[in-house]
Amino acid sequence: MTSTVYSDKEFDNTGADPTARAPLILGDLDIQGVTDVVAGIPEQPRTSKAWWIAFGISVSLAGMFGLLTAHLIYTGTGVWGNNIPVGWAWPIVNFVFWVGIGHAGTLISAILFLLRQRWRTSINRFAEAMTVFAVICALIFPGIHVGRIWLAYWMFPVPNQMEMWPNFRSPLLWDVFAVGTYGLVSTLFWFFGMIPDLATLRDRATGCIRKAIYGALALGWNGSARHWHRYERTYLILAALATPLVLSVHSVVSFDFAVAVLPGWHTTIFPPYFVAGAIFSGFAMVITLAVPARIIFGLEKLITLRHLENMAKVILTTGSMVGYAYGMEFFIAWYSGNATEGFTFKNRAFGPYAWAYWIMVSCNVIAPQLFWFKKIRSTPWLMLIVCIFVNIGMWFERFVITVTSLSRDFLPSAWGYYSPTLVDIGMLIGSFGIFFTLFLLFLRFVPVVAMAEVKAIMPEAHIHKSSHGEEPAHHA
Amino acid sequence: MNVDKMHLLEESVTELPPPLGGRVKAIGFGVGILGLASASVLGYLQEDHYTRFSFSYLIAWAFFLSITLGALFFVTLQHVTRAGWSVVVRRLAEGLSSQALLMALLSLPLIVPLAMGNHALFSWADHGAVEADHMLHHKAPYLNVGFFIARCVVYFVAWILMARFFFKNSLRQDGSKDPALTLRSERGSAPLMFVYAITVTFAAIDFLMSLEPHWFSTIFGVYFFAGCLVSFFATLILTGLWLNSQGVLRGAIHVEHYHDLGKLLFAFNFFWGYIAFSQFMLIWYANIPEETFWYLTRQEGGWITVALLLIFGHFIIPFVGLISRHAKRRTKILAFWAIWLLAMHWVDLFYLAAPALASRLKDGALAAGTLPLGLLDVACFVGVGGMYLAFFAVTMQKKRLVPWGDPRLNESLNFENA
Repeated sequence: MTSTVYSDKEFDNTGADPTARAPLILGDLDIQGVTDVVAGIPEQPRTSKAWWIAFGISVSLAGMFGLLTAHLIYTGTGVWGNNIPVGWAWPIVNFVFWVGIGHAGTLISAILFLLRQRWRTSINRFAEAMTVFAVICALIFPGIHVGRIWLAYWMFPVPNQMEMWPNFRSPLLWDVFAVGTYGLVSTLFWFFGMIPDLATLRDRATGCIRKAIYGALALGWNGSARHWHRYERTYLILAALATPLVLSVHSVVSFDFAVAVLPGWHTTIFPPYFVAGAIFSGFAMVITLAVPARIIFGLEKLITLRHLENMAKVILTTGSMVGYAYGMEFFIAWYSGNATEGFTFKNRAFGPYAWAYWIMVSCNVIAPQLFWFKKIRSTPWLMLIVCIFVNIGMWFERFVITVTSLSRDFLPSAWGYYSPTLVDIGMLIGSFGIFFTLFLLFLRFVPVVAMAEVKAIMPEAHIHKSSHGEEPAHHA
Repeated sequence: MNVDKMHLLEESVTELPPPLGGRVKAIGFGVGILGLASASVLGYLQEDHYTRFSFSYLIAWAFFLSITLGALFFVTLQHVTRAGWSVVVRRLAEGLSSQALLMALLSLPLIVPLAMGNHALFSWADHGAVEADHMLHHKAPYLNVGFFIARCVVYFVAWILMARFFFKNSLRQDGSKDPALTLRSERGSAPLMFVYAITVTFAAIDFLMSLEPHWFSTIFGVYFFAGCLVSFFATLILTGLWLNSQGVLRGAIHVEHYHDLGKLLFAFNFFWGYIAFSQFMLIWYANIPEETFWYLTRQEGGWITVALLLIFGHFIIPFVGLISRHAKRRTKILAFWAIWLLAMHWVDLFYLAAPALASRLKDGALAAGTLPLGLLDVACFVGVGGMYLAFFAVTMQKKRLVPWGDPRLNESLNFENA
């Protein structure tokens, strides 16, 4: 592993020179160097103290989540703040929040792959991992919100003698399929992309247990041309199949709200608006994790400033799309001439939940606009701050949509004000514990950067083409 | 990494040959003037204060406007993303986007009568109707003649200046080969994308959604935008192929570019289907009368045929037809789907606009569910289309048809679908 102290100023590849493509892998890294840096992380003989501390905290929080879930199941959903009129509260907010986080991974691995964005290779692996873990966190919430959890399997259309079928007209059932499919395909995609890298770890392994485990996971990969050919064809097909999934999952999640006749929920822009918001929050989470990870593991030459800057631009774009949707909702609420719709939006901005609404607007619409400044989108710690705000804002967006509309609908006598209980708060924090536990395990045991894919965009991979006196460069 | 392939350009024709350009101009102007003249006569003969004419003309005008706006988005997007592959086709897109000026001129037959008190198209422009209808009264601060025209001015100024900005930079670069001009376009492109999004959204609301002023849909701007992109990619593919067939740009735009344009055509058609489905499904499912009436009129009589035509002809059949790599790389097959989708885009605009006509005519003049199709639609389409073609030829004459000085031109020539 390289131990040289690295400074971002030294290797600034964020320039905009139109005559040459900026390099994506920096410094003196060659093919062997990439392997050494990346494979070195899971091969460290001793786990660092920092990892143990972080893992300890995460596991404790995850454990708290487990205990609270037991409390919930034993006592009943009354331990949450959910009550009429707000029957859907934090559990669904957390569900939508986590599904949203899980959108960057597949966008990076599928859509950016089809768009030939080569910079994706440095970040796709851990964005995909993040996706899988976020989907796991997401699925827990509706899973434990069914009341009688021992009947949760009723959600599946089990062909059975019960003569009882799930309600196919309910978007909540569509969710089971949409998120389930997404989780399955994302996991498959993630694991499939990892096979050559797992084989590398197998080949470098010294102990026989390591060799056996990585060997089993590598599925007999031998690096032959035939294997590579099949691998690349399959990757392309998986990417094409996963692309519509990126759109469909959050569209279906948006249907949970938009098919209802509740003011503030029923509006036609919801599907693309939710998808944009999901990508927005997903990329914010990738930056939140990438900025510290690249420093802790010495990955600055692989995950360069340009990678971070590109992600910041995606956040600026999708954040503005979300802002567009907020604006359109407001305009049409007036234009429609529907009194309840108009009231709902005034109530959001100036009613009892105005504080939540303005947190949402500041974090989601205003904060990403800071990325217009080159200085902010090329200074990692500033990006980190903006992205944490985005994460907060996107949680509040779901809170605003769910709670404001339910707490004050058509009948003023049925209005109420929702407050969470300690169990609600504990479970939100606990879900972060689950997420980080899984993520830390991933960092410790699996190659965090797709080594094989990164090598394919390095100059060594195109040696036969650089015969015309141009400087070989790996292109953006 | 890129091999020098500039010789491909030096060996091929990169300008519109004057005789060819002259012929296009003559045909375009001839057909255009003939079409517009016969449309006015046919419109007059209807004796309905040009109501039928206005609808047919609006549909034809919106059709060519959407191509122009699709081109404007494409050019802006290529700069935002610093794209390399598309450089060889960008000049054609710049030329199409520059037709914003023509579209502004051609909007006069819609806007001038409105300013003079004719409310053939828009019921909200009718004072009597607004007085009698609470909803129109509520919307009057937005839907009124003065503000409508002011907005149109803003849209057209924005689009004309945007198109000019990118086109001028690109043309100046032909001579100077100065990379700083690329940088200038790139810097301008991101903020201009905001201007684009807002103007296109409200233009769609104004010209199409407000034909039925009671109806509303937050996704409508995105729906129109999706149609713009479908029609633009189809037009770009056909323009490129036609030029190639005339021996122009033969080495420059090659199968790899068509393959990518085909993918984008496929992708944006899919996107159109996704948006159309989202809008329909949510309104159908919630089943609120103030929204469903719009779809209900589009399921009566002949309109159900149009709706089914859109589902199958605009979405499902081309989805199957364009999905294979083979279809996108065989230029004849690709051209077939491009023409097909252009036709479907016209049907889509017809479906959006024409159902409002029945309520604008005298009672009983057009039975509910009857499709108002006729020679007038053909005349308007040919008229606007002819002018569009001729002005496009005027725009492109004596100019390089590829951005000759673009620093990424060679990258684009080298482009391969690996």
